[in-house]
Amino acid sequence: MLKKFIILVVISLSLGFLSSSIGLSFNQSMAIAIFSVSVLGTLFFWDFRLGFVFLGTSILLMTRTINIENVIKFASLDVILFLVGMMILVGLMKEAGFFAWIVQLILRIRNMTAVKFVVIISVISALLSTMTSEVVSIIFMVAAVLEICDYFEVDPVPYITISILATNIGSAATVLGNPIGILIATKAGLTFEDFIIKAFPLAMVCLLAAIILLIIWYRKTNMQLDKHIKELGANEMLIRLISVPPDKELKISLAIFGATLFFIALHHRLELLWDLEPNTLLLMMPLFASGCVMIWKWKRAREYVEKDVEWWTLLFFMFLFAQAGTLKYTGATDVLAQKLATLAGNSLPVLIGIVLWVSAIGSSILDNVVLVAAFIPVIQSFQSMNLDLQPLWWALLFGGCLGGNITLVGSTANIVALGILEKERNIRMTFFRWFRVGLAVGVLTTTIAWIALLVFPFYR
Amino acid sequence: MKVVEIMSKEVKSLSPDMTAREAFDIISGMEISGLPVIDKDGKLVGMFTEKDVLSHILPSYIEKVGRFVYEQNPKSTKKKITELGNIKVSQIMRKEVLKVNEDTTLCEVGRIMLTEKARRIPVVNKDGVVVGIVARCDILKAMAKESEI
Amino acid sequence: MLKKVFLLILISLSAGFFSLRLGLNPHQATSIVIFCVSVLGTLFFWSFRLTFAFLGTSILLITQTIDVDNLIKSSSLEVILFLVGMMVIVGFLKDAGFFAWLVSLILRIKNLTAEKFLIYISVISALLACAVDEVTAIIFIIAAILEICDYFEVNPVPFLIISVLATNIGSSGTVLGNPIGIIIATKSGLTFEDFIIKAFPIMLVCLLVTIGILNVWFRKSLKELDERMKEFGANEILIKLISVPPEKELKIGLAIFGATLFFISLHHRLEILWDLKPNTILLVLPLISSGGIMAWKWKKARKFIEQDVDWWTLLFFLLLFAQAGTLKFTGATDVFAQKISLLIRDNTVVLTGFVLWVSAIGSSILDNVVLVAAFIPVIQSLQELGYNLQALWWALLFGGCLGGNITMIGSTANIVALGILEKERDVKIEFLRWLKIGAVVGIVTTMIVWLALSIFPFYK
Repeated sequence: MLKKFIILVVISLSLGFLSSSIGLSFNQSMAIAIFSVSVLGTLFFWDFRLGFVFLGTSILLMTRTINIENVIKFASLDVILFLVGMMILVGLMKEAGFFAWIVQLILRIRNMTAVKFVVIISVISALLSTMTSEVVSIIFMVAAVLEICDYFEVDPVPYITISILATNIGSAATVLGNPIGILIATKAGLTFEDFIIKAFPLAMVCLLAAIILLIIWYRKTNMQLDKHIKELGANEMLIRLISVPPDKELKISLAIFGATLFFIALHHRLELLWDLEPNTLLLMMPLFASGCVMIWKWKRAREYVEKDVEWWTLLFFMFLFAQAGTLKYTGATDVLAQKLATLAGNSLPVLIGIVLWVSAIGSSILDNVVLVAAFIPVIQSFQSMNLDLQPLWWALLFGGCLGGNITLVGSTANIVALGILEKERNIRMTFFRWFRVGLAVGVLTTTIAWIALLVFPFYR
Repeated sequence: MKVVEIMSKEVKSLSPDMTAREAFDIISGMEISGLPVIDKDGKLVGMFTEKDVLSHILPSYIEKVGRFVYEQNPKSTKKKITELGNIKVSQIMRKEVLKVNEDTTLCEVGRIMLTEKARRIPVVNKDGVVVGIVARCDILKAMAKESEI
Repeated sequence: MLKKVFLLILISLSAGFFSLRLGLNPHQATSIVIFCVSVLGTLFFWSFRLTFAFLGTSILLITQTIDVDNLIKSSSLEVILFLVGMMVIVGFLKDAGFFAWLVSLILRIKNLTAEKFLIYISVISALLACAVDEVTAIIFIIAAILEICDYFEVNPVPFLIISVLATNIGSSGTVLGNPIGIIIATKSGLTFEDFIIKAFPIMLVCLLVTIGILNVWFRKSLKELDERMKEFGANEILIKLISVPPEKELKIGLAIFGATLFFISLHHRLEILWDLKPNTILLVLPLISSGGIMAWKWKKARKFIEQDVDWWTLLFFLLLFAQAGTLKFTGATDVFAQKISLLIRDNTVVLTGFVLWVSAIGSSILDNVVLVAAFIPVIQSLQELGYNLQALWWALLFGGCLGGNITMIGSTANIVALGILEKERDVKIEFLRWLKIGAVVGIVTTMIVWLALSIFPFYK
C-alpha cells in the first residue's frame, strides 16, 4: 500500500514539474499535480478516494490556486442536485418493484433461443442504462442473466459480458443514463433532444454492431445454450421464479417516472415556450418529481434521501468537478488545448479523432466520470480557438462511454457486475479474457462513432 | 453485575475447518442462532450464525434490489445449500467478531447488543481466549432478577 | 393535516398578494410566497420540510424567479461543506468515546451541591454548544442529567430546562457551535477572532445572569436536590456508572479536534499571513481534518459520511439558503429594507434594536437557522442602503440564538431534549410552563445584548 502511495506522489509531482518546465505557471502546475493525485487516487485507492479529494481541494484553496467562490461554481451543484433527484426516484422505483418486474419480464420470454437471449439482454441492458444509473441497471440484469443461465445450465460469463458491454454502450444514448450525460449536457449546453436526435441513433448502431459481433464471438456458448433449451424444455420454473405483480404502487411509480421522463424529453421545447434559460427544466424536473415522491411516500422520504442517494459518490463528484474546474480556471487546460490544437494542425476532424480516441483509452483505465471531468475543461478551452465544439462534445461522450468497455476496470458497471459474478459463482474474470472481447467491441464501436462524427455534418 | 457471572461457560464452539453443513446442523440442532468459531489455539476467529448462512445462500445483490419477490428458491440457492457440505466454516463466518471482556457490565453488554444488533456475544478473558458466551435472553433474565431484589 | 395545508397556502398567498399591493413586482412576490411556504412548512410540517424545499425551489426555477447559476450561488455550498466536515469530525469523536468521556467527567464531580450542579451543567452545556452542534451537545448533557437526577431521585425537568437554556445561549459564543455562527460569519465576513472578542464575552455575561436567574427561579428544586444529596451521600455509584478510559483512540481524537479548533481560532491571522481571502481557512479546516480522519479510519469513512452527516437537514439548509438568496436576488428584501429605512432614518440604535428583537421573537417561533436565513438578505439589503453596521450582524446572531429560549419549540435543542424527556420519563412539558421561564431568560438576556450593542461603540 505504501508503495502505491509513493508511486502516486512521484507521478503527480513529476507531472507538476513537467508542467512547470514546459512553461506553465505555478498555479497551473499545482492544479495539474493535485488533479493527478485525485485521478491516480481513484486508480490506486478507490476506497479512499473521498479523503484524497477533500485534502487535495484543501491544498488548492490554501495555495491560492483557486478561491472558495470558484470552487463552488465549478462543483456543479446543479448536476449534483439533478443526480440527487434521480436517485430518489430510482429508490422509489426499486421499492415499488419496477426493476424486479423487468427481470420477471425477461424470465418469462417464451420460445427462448440463444440469439433471442443475446438480443433481448443487450437491448434491455442498453435501454435500462439510458434511463437510470449503470450500477442500478447492471445489478438487475446480472440477476436475470444468472437465473436464466442457472436454469439452462450454461456458463453465464458470456452473457454477463454481453450485458455489461451493452450497458456501457447504452449509457451514451441519453442525458439520463450516466452522470456523464448530464455533465456534458450542462457544460456543453446540449439538450435532451440533441441527445435523442444525435446520440441515441449512433448508440443504437453501435449496439447493433456489437450484438452481431458478440453473437459470432460467443457462437459456441450460444450453440450450447440452444441445445440445453431443447433438452430442458420450456422455462416454466423460471417463469414462476420472481413474481412482482404490477400493483397500484408499481403503477403509480411508473406513472411518476414516466411523467418525469416525458417532461425531461420536452424540456427544450418548454424552455423555449416559457422563455427559460437552457436546461433549467432539465435540471429542475428530478427535483420536482422527487419532491412529489417525498409527499406521497412521506414516511419513507427520509430513508430515500439517506440511503438511496449515494452521498459518498456525490461528494466525490463535487470535489472532482471543482478540481477539474480549477484546471480551467488557472488556464492549465488552455495551454494544453493550444498544444493539442497545434498538434492537430487546427483541423477539426483530426481533433475529433484525438478527443474520441484519447477519451476512449483514458476511460478504459479510469472511471468514466473521472475521465470526462478531466476532459471537459480542455474542450471548454478550445472555445477560444473558434472551433465548432459540438462534435468534440459527442466525441467525449462516446469515447468516455464506449471506452469503458475495453478493460474490466473501465467502468463502474464492469466492476460491480464482475464483483457479483465472483461472489455468486466464484468465477474470476481475468484481465486478458475480458480485454480480448472488450477491445474488439470497444474498437469497433469507437470506430463507428468516429466515422459518424467525421462523415455526417449533422454532428456539427 | 459483570457478564462473567451470568454467561454460559460451556461454550460449544465451531472449528474453522469444519464444513458449513456440519456447523449448520449443530446450531440448528441446538436451536440457537449462532456459535463462535475458535481455532486450534483457542483464539476467537469468527462467528457463525444463521444470518451468515442465509446471507451466503441467497444471491449477494439481494440487499440492494428493493422489492424482489421470489416465488421459488433460485437454482443457485438450492445449489449452495447442497454445497454447504463442501465449504468450510471459515468461508462463511463473519470475521469481525463482537466480543466483550469478562468484567463488562450487564448494561454495557445490553447496549452493545442493541447498537450492533447482536444476539449472542462471546466473552473473552484478558488473553483473548473465549471463556463463555452470553445471549440476549441471559442479559434480560439477569437484569430482571437484579431488579427484583 | 389538511387544515394545516390550507392554512399554509392561505398565509403564503396572502403574503404574496400583500407584497403585490405594496408595489413589489411578480418575481419578488413569488419569491416571498415560496419562502413563506418553506418557513411555514417548517412550522406546520417539520417532518416534511425537505419536500417543501424541493418543490418550492422547483417552482422558483420554473417561474423564472431565479436562474440556476444564481440559485447555486445563493445556496452557500461552502457552509454546507463546512458542516459536512464538522459532522464527520463529530461522528469520529462519538465513536472514539469523547462525549461519553465528558459525561463521565460530569458524573464524577465530588462534593456535589445543588448550586455546583447548576453551574456545572450550565457552563458545560454552553461550552459544548460553542464547540459542536447543539443537537449532539444536548443529547450527551441530557444523558448526564437524567442519570444524576435518577440517582438523587429528583425531578429532572428543571435541570433539563437549565441545560437547554444554557445551550442556546452558548451557541452564540463562537462561529462553530450552531450553523448560525458559520452562516453569519460567511455572509458578514466576520472572523473567529471577531466572535471570540465580541460575541463570547456577551455570551458569558448572559450565561452568568441566567445562572443567577435560574438559581432563584428553581430554588425549590435546588433545595430538594441539596437535601437528597445529603441523604444519599457521595455519588459513588454515579462515578462508576459510565466509564470511558481515555485510551489511545480517544486521545488522538482529542488531539485532532484540538488541533482543528486551534487552527480555526487562528484562521484570520493565517489568512493575513498567507494572503488568502477572508474565511478561506475557516471553511477549509474541517475539510482537512475530516479528510485526514477519513484516510486514517478508512474502513469507517463511508459510515461517517453516510450516517453521521445529516444529509436530510443539510439538503434542507441548502435549498432554504437558496430560497432566501432569491429574496435578495429579486430585490424583495431591498424593498423591505427601503421601507425600514424610511421608518428609522438615521437612528441606528433603533435599527439594531429592531433586528435584535424581531429576530429574537421570530426565533422563538421558527427554527433558529430558518430565521437567520430569512434575515440575512434583509441585512445585506440594509447594508447596501448605507447601514453598514457590524452591530446588525451581532443583533441577528444573539437574537437568533437567545430567542430560541423563549418557547419550547424555539430551537432544535429544545425539541430534541423535550423529545428525550418524553420518551424516557413520560413527562410532557406544557407550552406555558416553558414560556414562563423561557420568556424571562430570553427577555433578560436579549436586553443585556441590546444594552451592550447600543452602548459600546466597540460593536459598530
